[in-house]
Amino acid sequence: MGSLAFARELRRATSCGLPPWGVVRMMLELLIALCLVGAFAVFVLPDEYAPKAAFGISLVPLVLSLYMYLTFDGVGNALLGGDIAFESQYQWLTLGSYDVSWFMGLDGISMPLVVLATLLTTLAILASWTPIDMRQSQFYGLMLFMEASLIGVFGALDFLIWFVFWEAVLVPMYFLIGIWGGARRKYAAIKFFVYTNIASIVMFVGFFGLVFGLGDSISSLALPEIAQALRAGELGSLGAFGPEQLALLAFLAMFVGFAVKVPVVPFHTWLPDAHVEAPTPASVMLAGVLLKMGTYALLRYNFTMLPTIARDLAVPIAALGVLSILYGAMLALAQSDLKRIVAYSSVSSMGYVTLGLVAYTMYGTGGATFQMVSHGLISGLLFACVGVIYNTTHTRMVGDMSGLAEKMPVTAGSFIVGAFAYMGLPLMAGFAAEFFVFVGSFDAHFAYSTVLTALAMFGIVIVAGYLLWSMQRTLFGPFRSETDYDVTTASLHDVAPLLVLLVCIIALGTFPYDLAFERVLDATEPILDTTVAAVGGGS
Amino acid sequence: MAESLAFEFAPAIAVLPFVSFLVALLAGRYLPKKGAIAGMVATGGSLLLSAWTLFAVHTGHAYQQTLYTWVGGELVDFELTFGILLDPLSTLMLVIVSTIAFLVHMFSLGYMNDDGQTGLPRYYAELGLFTASMLGFVFADNLLMAFMFFELVGLCSYLLIGFWFREAGPPSAAKKAFLVTRFGDYFFLIGVVGVFATFGTSMFGGPGVDDSFVHVAEQALVGEASVNTFGFEPQTWFTILGLLVLGGVMGKSAQFPFHTWLPDAMEGPTPVSALIHAATMVAAGVYLVARMYGFYALSPTALAIIALVGGFTALFAATMAVVKREIKQVLAYSTISQYGYIMLALGGGGYVAGVFHLTTHAFFKALLFLGAGSVIIAMHHNENMWDMGGLKEKMPVTYYAFLSGSLALAGIVPFSGFWSKDEVLYETLVHGLGGSPILLAAYAMGLIAVFFTGFYTVRMVLLTFHGEPRSETAADPEPVRWNVKLPLAVLGVLAAVAGVINLVPVHAVVSAVPEILHDWLYHGPTGLNGEHYHELITNDAFAGYTSGELLGLGETGTLFASAGISLALAVAGSLLALVLYRGPDPAEHTDKLGALKPVLFNNYYQDEYQVWLAEGATVRVARLADRFDRGIIDGLVNFVSSLSLFSGDRLRRVQTGIVTNYAALLTLGLTLLLVAFGVMQGWFV
Amino acid sequence: MAVPVQYYLVFSTLVFCIGLFGVLTRRNALFFLMSVELMLNAANINLVAFSFYHGNLTGQVFSLFTMALAAAEVAIGIGIILVLYRNFADVDVTSATTLRW
Repeated sequence: MGSLAFARELRRATSCGLPPWGVVRMMLELLIALCLVGAFAVFVLPDEYAPKAAFGISLVPLVLSLYMYLTFDGVGNALLGGDIAFESQYQWLTLGSYDVSWFMGLDGISMPLVVLATLLTTLAILASWTPIDMRQSQFYGLMLFMEASLIGVFGALDFLIWFVFWEAVLVPMYFLIGIWGGARRKYAAIKFFVYTNIASIVMFVGFFGLVFGLGDSISSLALPEIAQALRAGELGSLGAFGPEQLALLAFLAMFVGFAVKVPVVPFHTWLPDAHVEAPTPASVMLAGVLLKMGTYALLRYNFTMLPTIARDLAVPIAALGVLSILYGAMLALAQSDLKRIVAYSSVSSMGYVTLGLVAYTMYGTGGATFQMVSHGLISGLLFACVGVIYNTTHTRMVGDMSGLAEKMPVTAGSFIVGAFAYMGLPLMAGFAAEFFVFVGSFDAHFAYSTVLTALAMFGIVIVAGYLLWSMQRTLFGPFRSETDYDVTTASLHDVAPLLVLLVCIIALGTFPYDLAFERVLDATEPILDTTVAAVGGGS
Repeated sequence: MAESLAFEFAPAIAVLPFVSFLVALLAGRYLPKKGAIAGMVATGGSLLLSAWTLFAVHTGHAYQQTLYTWVGGELVDFELTFGILLDPLSTLMLVIVSTIAFLVHMFSLGYMNDDGQTGLPRYYAELGLFTASMLGFVFADNLLMAFMFFELVGLCSYLLIGFWFREAGPPSAAKKAFLVTRFGDYFFLIGVVGVFATFGTSMFGGPGVDDSFVHVAEQALVGEASVNTFGFEPQTWFTILGLLVLGGVMGKSAQFPFHTWLPDAMEGPTPVSALIHAATMVAAGVYLVARMYGFYALSPTALAIIALVGGFTALFAATMAVVKREIKQVLAYSTISQYGYIMLALGGGGYVAGVFHLTTHAFFKALLFLGAGSVIIAMHHNENMWDMGGLKEKMPVTYYAFLSGSLALAGIVPFSGFWSKDEVLYETLVHGLGGSPILLAAYAMGLIAVFFTGFYTVRMVLLTFHGEPRSETAADPEPVRWNVKLPLAVLGVLAAVAGVINLVPVHAVVSAVPEILHDWLYHGPTGLNGEHYHELITNDAFAGYTSGELLGLGETGTLFASAGISLALAVAGSLLALVLYRGPDPAEHTDKLGALKPVLFNNYYQDEYQVWLAEGATVRVARLADRFDRGIIDGLVNFVSSLSLFSGDRLRRVQTGIVTNYAALLTLGLTLLLVAFGVMQGWFV
Repeated sequence: MAVPVQYYLVFSTLVFCIGLFGVLTRRNALFFLMSVELMLNAANINLVAFSFYHGNLTGQVFSLFTMALAAAEVAIGIGIILVLYRNFADVDVTSATTLRW
């Protein structure tokens, strides 16, 4: 019995007993509400209780989301007429001729990302105990608020609701960077906020171009309805633009809007600044979950709603993906700040997602989605490691330290394993994801797919170059630290997140299909079927 | 019945060392000997199980079983699986690997534990993980699984080379080893992905596997199957795929130009060098070629390149070994050279010869490294041969074992290396004479390398063990215990007699003497046995090799002539070394090399250009990219923001802060608005 | 006989202009406030006049609201002036320009 079948079995077994069906239906809302109430509670709590309270509170959504993951019974893609899990839809208001409803639900693409968000939030909160020493209650309150917004982004199926959550994520991150950040925190926070916000506006315009172009064929802003109408070819003309022009322009606008979030080269420059200045737990969240919002939205909007345009533009998009991989890796090679290295390598790794998405093959699209989860865990792990090192050495410059492996063996060990996971070592999540992407894109439908994939693979050599180099300099050799701080072994609550992530990465790399890939494929497979007839049934 | 039980237990061959890895990692510090016992028990168990499967394959038949479906199910285009393939080749290799792993664990007791090293649990954990990965690689039944364990083996190599991480050298060497092999693995990965894209499977074959990629490729060439060849001729595309996979092979087996990491890898503990960098991991590359030999046999181009690379590496590395001062450096270059021979054999159509040399080399090179380790213990970790001398009387067990290994390496009859090296050269020669000048060139290089091999081997033995002690430690060496001597003795015997498994020249005269290995490899499963490979090699649709004869001597005559030439050259090289370095106080003769001396000492400047490529060129490009990124791309972003800041700054000057001005502006605006309305409404007309 | 509505308008225009003149020329905050008050009252006059003209009481009701608002505004205005005086020892509106950016 596959794990998905097992989940359905478990769901049937548990739903008749303990949790009433109605509550189970509202699970997502329950998650968000718990985070929001928790955020408020932590916000008003005295500083000394905030860290532990926030950790305790964040465990509840984590456990709940894991339960949801185990009992997940969605079938197919939520936007393309699949059977949505944890679905709830309530009419809210009417804007013009469009109904807006509170429409939430999960499928195999969003479910793993929700778990990723809850898991990384809990671990990031744990990783904040040591470094965050001022305004704790506000810090942890914002973290929980961000968790609520992130769950909302992955769970919302109505455009307006989704957009509210999408923008709401920016607010806590802005404050996390701006208040608890490093020396240039204001610059970084404003750059992050303004850059991504402008991108949101561009995306918003593009999307509403589509909505108005669809005219009377849709009656609500529910994403499934819009997606199915678009795939059924009901896009009309808008103003001077014919349907094809409109679709192209909307695609470009949304692509640029989401590409900033991913980030795709050349829209990436906010990322290193934000990462370097952000406190480490915020970096964990930023790299681990926030970047995935961009690729998630690309998949949900561009690649699901406008597949023909995506296929037409495959070569330039794939080229951008490859450019991100190689250029991002080269930039990482030139850095000497550990956080900048990991930040640029995130740019590089997210390039694999772009490449996989545009391939429109089973392994490509599924692998890209898998890479979102895998990169979330791996980059989270590396940032957390850098954070633990920074906690005790108070420097992140490669040249300022060496031989840390002797003083902090567990942290160093985690860093090494994390780095190898980043390099795509087999039996770890990174290899599985990258291999799926490569296999998927090698003979994809577009021209030069073979050459582009072969080029993209060279990323695994460069990534080995800069990670091995930085490990050799910082972890190995005779012990030396240029700062005056006493380098000591990290405490248990510092290394616990590292170990949890390690276990997740290895488990996901060894059992990718049973743990996640099956669910992912179930949801990505309908996207590939671009024939019009196959889509109509769901609406 | 018994064989099926052996096959049922076969996965435990790799699982046992993995368990010892976990034990050493989690509980090593609480154990006596810090995990060495667990490692020995595990590898010993692996050895027994491997021997059992070898026996089972001998009496029964080959076995293939998919154990775990990594990715599968109804939605998946093609499945990715883990499975085991037990056939003559893989079981033979399993026995070799587990034997040497077991002996190295035992040797480590003397080399590491008795030396009072710290970090032993880590050492034994990494050793266990390595053994598990290597064994997993050996019995992998598909290319993807092989690739995955290939990479894991590389990780363990990285960790073990960098075992002494507190010093500066080992971490750097570890990084280099991983990077260079990773560069090769890049091509390998493209090859794996390409194989999947072309055939939809990466199974090697075996009983019950009809659609292995090797078999489908063969059918595609004769027109019985069609596959997506990406716009190339099928044979061209298969050659490309084979060469891509060969990239990984050349990286791991340290073939030119990816050989540079191996000498540096000698920074690791000597038992590690024996296990990983002599007998097993380095063998993984050539083993892979043997494993998918049916695929390479389809392409004469790929085979020619393999042979050429092998022959050139054999000669190239042997010349560098001639001048080295450190005992482990000599062995490192000789390892590169010997793997060149194995490549030469495989490329030259000598599948059995390649596997034969792989087997004998594994034993005698592990022996030489362990012997060197024993010497290094005795010399208190001084590896310079010019500080040694006269150790023969002080450590007789080590000396005689080392001598056995050296004679095997030099190719002196009747030690094992003679038989295997002779067969390598013979196979290449006959196929070269059959009309392939490339093979003849490769053969010539391999033949010249025999001379150098004899020379540096004997030089090494003389400098280390003979003459007068040239330092105080050499005069009073540290004694070694049973745990060092026993592995040496076992391997010493093996190195001397392992040749009996394939006494080809003897068989040619007395046909009652069996060619055990030849028969063994020929009775493998359909499509995976030597006989089939021989058919492929000689088929014109594929490699199209033909056998020739030397000067009309006939088959047997050519065989003996070839053996005679190589033996003569080996003896000549040995005698030259004997003449030069004999006596109580031998002199360095390197000055006689003249202008060649710095070139050889600097390894033909291979490291220099590779370091320049990795550091000079790449880092410079990276810096340039960084400057471009910060200057142009981020500059553009900042320009947009400063543009808006600047224009905002100018515009805000309208706000004077004087209320009167605002009132005046308001009034003016209202008046202008009124006038405008008036004009538009035509009030003033 | 009722006074024609034009007369009220002319009158309110005059009052408005006087107020405007005051706002534009005076620097003393008190005069400023008084001038604003004049302008407001000009609007009130208009409201009442049109209310009378149309025979509709809404305008007058509105002017009552405006007067109440004006009173509140004066209270705030005088408060501001007091703070201004406390900070600048003067009630010159041109001296307090630091809040502009």
